Amino acid sequence: MPSPALDQLSNAGLVSAILLYGFAMLAYALDFLYSRRKFESPATAAQAREKRPAAVLVGAGSGTADAGLAADEADRNFGADPADASAQLADLSAPPGGSGSDVVGLTKWPQGAWLRTAFVLTCLGLVVHIATITTRGLAEQRVPWGNMYEFLSAITCAAVLILTLASIKFRAYYMGLFVLLPVVVTLGIDEAVIYTPEGAVAPALNSYWIAIHVTGMIIAIGMYIFGAVTTVLYLLADRHERRVAAGQESGLAGIMAQLPGAAKLDQLAYRAILFAFPAWTFAVIAGAIWADHAWGRYWGWDPKETWSFITWLVYAAFLHARATAGWRGRRAAYVQLLGFACLMFNLVGVNLWISGLHSYANM
Amino acid sequence: MTAGVADVAGKGMTRPGKAKFGPVAWLRWIWRQLTSMRTALVLLFLLALASIPGSVLPQEGIDPAAVAQYYTAHPALAPVLAKLSGFDVFGAPWFAAIYILLFTSLAGCVLPRAYRLAKSSRQPPPKAPRHLGRLPQSTDFPAAGPADEALAAATRMLRARRFRLRTGDGWVSAEKGYLHEVGNLLFHLALLGLLASIALGGLFGYKANKLLVAGEGFANTPTALDVFHPGRLVTASDLQPFSITMTKFTASYITSGSQRGQPANFNASLSYTAQPGGPVGHYDLQVNHPLNVDGVQVFLIGHGYAPTFKVTDGTGRVVLDQPVPFIPVEEAGLSSDGVIKVPDAKPQALGFSGEFLPTAYETITGSVGSEFPAANLPRVVLVGYEGNLQLNNGQPQSVYSLNTSQMRRIDYPIKMLAPGQSIVLPHGLGKLTFTGYRQWASLAITYDPGQLPALFSALAALAGLILSFLVRRRRIFVRVSENGNGTVVQLGGLTRSDAAGGFEVEFAELTGEFKRRLGSAAGSSAPAKSAVDETSKDGADEVALAQSKGE
Repeated sequence: MPSPALDQLSNAGLVSAILLYGFAMLAYALDFLYSRRKFESPATAAQAREKRPAAVLVGAGSGTADAGLAADEADRNFGADPADASAQLADLSAPPGGSGSDVVGLTKWPQGAWLRTAFVLTCLGLVVHIATITTRGLAEQRVPWGNMYEFLSAITCAAVLILTLASIKFRAYYMGLFVLLPVVVTLGIDEAVIYTPEGAVAPALNSYWIAIHVTGMIIAIGMYIFGAVTTVLYLLADRHERRVAAGQESGLAGIMAQLPGAAKLDQLAYRAILFAFPAWTFAVIAGAIWADHAWGRYWGWDPKETWSFITWLVYAAFLHARATAGWRGRRAAYVQLLGFACLMFNLVGVNLWISGLHSYANM
Repeated sequence: MTAGVADVAGKGMTRPGKAKFGPVAWLRWIWRQLTSMRTALVLLFLLALASIPGSVLPQEGIDPAAVAQYYTAHPALAPVLAKLSGFDVFGAPWFAAIYILLFTSLAGCVLPRAYRLAKSSRQPPPKAPRHLGRLPQSTDFPAAGPADEALAAATRMLRARRFRLRTGDGWVSAEKGYLHEVGNLLFHLALLGLLASIALGGLFGYKANKLLVAGEGFANTPTALDVFHPGRLVTASDLQPFSITMTKFTASYITSGSQRGQPANFNASLSYTAQPGGPVGHYDLQVNHPLNVDGVQVFLIGHGYAPTFKVTDGTGRVVLDQPVPFIPVEEAGLSSDGVIKVPDAKPQALGFSGEFLPTAYETITGSVGSEFPAANLPRVVLVGYEGNLQLNNGQPQSVYSLNTSQMRRIDYPIKMLAPGQSIVLPHGLGKLTFTGYRQWASLAITYDPGQLPALFSALAALAGLILSFLVRRRRIFVRVSENGNGTVVQLGGLTRSDAAGGFEVEFAELTGEFKRRLGSAAGSSAPAKSAVDETSKDGADEVALAQSKGE
């Protein structure tokens, strides 16, 4: 029997998670404001190499001095964290200019009080968020993604999980603020507008395939969100770098000093899609198998199916575009964002405006 | 469809001139265009774009009723859209044109690559380039022992790491990660397999629907089925000769709380035989639990009520005594509409149209409805007609609608009937008794021989995708030389397919292990140098690959 007490606990949990994420965002922002710059932007570095007078540098302070500081800090970190020594060694032995040197100047664990606070808050928020989803599942005695309210909670949870993993694995702590922003907004809308009380699902959803198909979708969407946010940052960084290179005012120098530059952002976004695309493919296949069990055909061009196919095609186009001369860089990035738009339309638009077999999202 | 292929196509971009190019050259040019990556990209976008109308417009194959509705709502636009296959987008010639071009482009790209992979897998890695410092990854450091010892250590290490090796005078070159290309090709070939599987289903499969009242049965023949969509090469004799009887249908609903009235479970108890005279099997058919008979799958896709009626005509003869399926018109209370046609009644043919209310209520103003989907208080309300049912005027007529244009309303007081109650018709027209109700289930019957091949193709595509993303193809080169101060070791590394990144980490690990193997003498290692910067990197790649091709 569904338990209202557990359900109430779960609601309190979601509000707590939103608050923790909010505070984490604040701490990430404070880190950006008060910590020293972490990255030497390629454009400023190039200018520094040309030994232009510091006064000419656009809003970036003295590039030479900062480059020195960054090296300094890396040394300090290396000494401070013996557990990481081998990783550091590997990092430092890689050529600093190479495409894979995204780890140079960055440490596995967050540095600085604000960044550490932000990351701990993010992890706490994630734990509470997962506990929230678990208790909701226990309250309903089913997989807790049976309606739109639960689904949004799950995909934002996946996005934060990916953020946490990417932070450690790729030292991408700088992504915190930008990923948490859409997460907090979405969860706020979810809790305030879309909230649905606990309850059973329709017999059509009563299958173990919901655990497989929808979980795959949730993980893939979490990674697609991470990829899209990174790509938006890439486009901004790319614009910034081109403007700086052309000697123009960019207005983004402050934030770009905290980001690792367009090339690294592009690679990070690509990695996210490299993981997301097989996950999405898997989820679509699992959905097809379920559709075959439930409706007697594995593919029937139901609007949801059609749009997941369109999404798949556009992301496939992105993967190909990135390997094609003339499409790399900004154009590929736009293709990826187009894929994300298709994904969002599938989640929201198809539920709201087109009726089909998947119309049990309860919005 | 990789950068490599795109480059090849790029070189072939020069349009054939006027004089020296014959039709063969033109064909070659067209083929190169078609199999180029740019064309593939455009076709991917086109296919995505072409799918959109299929999700916006009602589709004949999914919801024919919605298409009919669209015709009434947009009488001017609908025929135009129909001409453009707007209501059958995924069967449209223009849709087929796009995906056939895409798959041709894919095949034209992938098959030559499979051939090249097979060839290169039998060849040893290329010789080590002379200047390893120009490679994207490179390092050099002094070693303590003699040069040939260092080279032997390098060979042992790379062999232990399962690299393919080629050795020469003072150098080793090693290559690994052929599975990257294998995965990539597997993915694309599996997509071709998926298309073939879908075609197989479209040619030899069939789909059918059957509405079955509890207690009744049917045999799997085109005439017994309500709706039958055979594949292009399917004839009536190809249908598997099973028969199914539904002995009982039960539906349970949530009885309290905010979700009161939502269905909780449906169960259709079936008995079936695979062939006439064969052993009888039993199966509890539920949503998500299809029955498989002889490779054919039977699904439960809907349910409803079939009130039973007994009609005695004016001459005292029983002219109808059977359940009549009514179609649900709303979910919450499952109120259902239906018609009863009694063409054999004398002196006049009779027709009734009305409503079945599973849990009936009546408001004080006299309006009626059903407040719960289970049959707790079953009632029917019927309006009677006499006259010509027009069943034999040559026009097909739905069993769920009554054409009353040549009928007269029979005058009797309309009220809800409980089971066992009757309407005695005036003017000696006869009598109708509401004898009770049964439930019906609607079954979807599908046979798709392409189903398993499609599943295997899809899984192979997924496996290929994961393989190609996880494995990187890379080459490691080692050169040793002796100068005045001792042995100098040079290490270089190169990867063409490092999708997920991380080659520099592997290279650093490899360097570290090599130094350990060489012993502490190499401890005073110089940090890896960066001979090339980001921009000239691709150039360095090309240099190394050109060198390797020049073997």
